[in-house]
Amino acid sequence: MPALLRYLALLFLLVPCLVAAAEVKQSRNSETELFSWQVEDRGFSLELVQLHTDFVRAVYGARGFPPALIDGIAEYCVFGTIAINTSDAQLSYRVADWRYVTPDGEQHPLKTKTQWTTEWMKMGVPYNWSILPDDQTFEVGDWSQGFTTVRLPRESVFDLVYSWTVEGKTHVSRIEELRCAPEHLPER
Amino acid sequence: MSAESRNFAVHRSICQNVSRARRQLVLAALCLILVQPLAAQQVVPELGHTLTALPAPMSGASFTLQDTDEETHALNDYRGKVILLNFWATWCPPCRREIPSMERLYQLLKEEGFVVLAVNQWEDPDHVFAYLGQLEADPSFPILFDPESEVAKAYGVKGLPTTFLLDKDGKVRYRAVGGREFDHPEVVATIRRLLE
Repeated sequence: MPALLRYLALLFLLVPCLVAAAEVKQSRNSETELFSWQVEDRGFSLELVQLHTDFVRAVYGARGFPPALIDGIAEYCVFGTIAINTSDAQLSYRVADWRYVTPDGEQHPLKTKTQWTTEWMKMGVPYNWSILPDDQTFEVGDWSQGFTTVRLPRESVFDLVYSWTVEGKTHVSRIEELRCAPEHLPER
Repeated sequence: MSAESRNFAVHRSICQNVSRARRQLVLAALCLILVQPLAAQQVVPELGHTLTALPAPMSGASFTLQDTDEETHALNDYRGKVILLNFWATWCPPCRREIPSMERLYQLLKEEGFVVLAVNQWEDPDHVFAYLGQLEADPSFPILFDPESEVAKAYGVKGLPTTFLLDKDGKVRYRAVGGREFDHPEVVATIRRLLE
């Protein structure tokens, strides 16, 4: 492997360790007791909201989808996600470039919308919605909402390293100590 | 069509054949059960009003879709009018948030040659009908059904809601990705310029 390629590969592996954590606003819904995390950084706002498995099952169950499809996504740790262009220029992101980092330091790709819809198509369900789009180009004022999915058990803790591009410049940021939702809503 | 597709099509068909009254009752209950937690679990940011002008207006892809009364609407039927073409679904919180502003906008400008077409994605008409019945003001503009999302694909829609503003010649002039307050004075002024 040429030296430059080796250097770039090493740099790519190190990036999640080197990225500074962004200032995170964490809040908890008093009704559901679910946490959410919101970061606004260099023209991009990203918010992740814990979702209960029961809720995820209900969303897909209400569409009449087969149990295998519902079980498939219910195995994942799912977050409601809101991505907003808060800059005054065009902005883009690619979920394929984002990584979640587990406490052992390992980095993992998120399962993308294309991967989900390909899987659902094989089950005979040509459904193309609900997951955060893989990549988007936002003009001023544009934003998007959808699920992001991480293959981790309930209540797992991890960091998210994500990137976006504004005016040709790519930025990378990190949200530390995100936590997957517990199995069920608290009993009252 | 694969065996799985056939099974799912049969499953969907069976669902669609259950009596309408019973389904509406069940779906209204489902809406209460599912949509309320959804509202509690998902947050919607304040809606803005920015529309992006396309650098080069392009012809809107033609379509023919049915509405809630199973009446057919073709894009060409609205040639000569300015069209707000909105892609939405009932499970999408910002879609639900922006519907009242679309209704207010429609009431304000419908006599001037303006129409709203709200194209629902992938949902059963009975489900949508039950949802609309819960709204404070039932939308008076056409709600159309795009059951396989073919029209959304033709317009390159990646996420919901996405909205396009078409001029009187059927050309797409503006786009908005994400929810908006459509009756904002700046949006009204933009539409009035297209109506001139």
